[in-house]
Amino acid sequence: MKISVKFWSYFRDYTGCAETALELAKGTTLGETHAAVLDEFPKLAGSKNSTLKAVGLEYEDDDFVLSDGDVVSFFPPLQGG
Amino acid sequence: MKTELTISTGAIDEVALAKCREMGKGMGAVICFSGVVREIEGDAPITAIDYEAHEQMARHQVGLLFDAVEKRWPVESVRVVHRIGVVPVNESSLWVEMIAPHRAEAFAACQFIIDEMKQKVQIWKKPMST
Repeated sequence: MKISVKFWSYFRDYTGCAETALELAKGTTLGETHAAVLDEFPKLAGSKNSTLKAVGLEYEDDDFVLSDGDVVSFFPPLQGG
Repeated sequence: MKTELTISTGAIDEVALAKCREMGKGMGAVICFSGVVREIEGDAPITAIDYEAHEQMARHQVGLLFDAVEKRWPVESVRVVHRIGVVPVNESSLWVEMIAPHRAEAFAACQFIIDEMKQKVQIWKKPMST
C-alpha cells in the first residue's frame, strides 16, 4: 500500500523535504512507519520521543494500523499562542 | 454556543473585533486575552516570531476545544484569532474572547482554551532576530 508522510516545522529542515511517499506492507502500523522514516531520514532520530504523529486530522498511537492512501503527519512539539 | 476561529497573516485588530462583538442580555462577563510577542525568547533577544500552522489540523483541533468548552461551561460565545507568518515584537499573535454569564466561567474557559491550544493545536513558532 502507498502512504504519504508530511513533515512540519523544523522537521522539514531535518529531512530536506516537506513530504515523502512510502510503499508499505498491508497492516503496517504508525510506529513501524515512524521507524521506516527514521531509517530514511536519520536526522529525525534525535526527536524520536517527542515526535507527534497524526493520520489525516487525528493524533494516533503507534499501534494504529494504516490503510492504503493514508496521509501521515510528523511534527515537533506545538508552540502556538 | 457561538464559535469563531480566524487564522490569518493579517495584524489582529482588537478594536475592530470589539466593535463586532455580539452578546446576549444575560451575559455578565467578557474576557479578552491578547498574547503578545516578547522581545526575549529564552535568553536571546528577538525582533519577531514566524508562526507556521498546519491549518487544516489546527482548525479541526480548535473545533474539538470549542466542543470541550461548551460541555464544561455555560459560555455563550468564543472567538479565537491566531496570527501566522511574521509577527513583530509588541504585536499580538493570539486573541481570545470568551463571553459567559459570570466571570468565573469566562476566566476558566479562557485559561483552558489557551492552555490546550499550546498543547494540541498545530502551530509552531520560529524566533527571528536581526
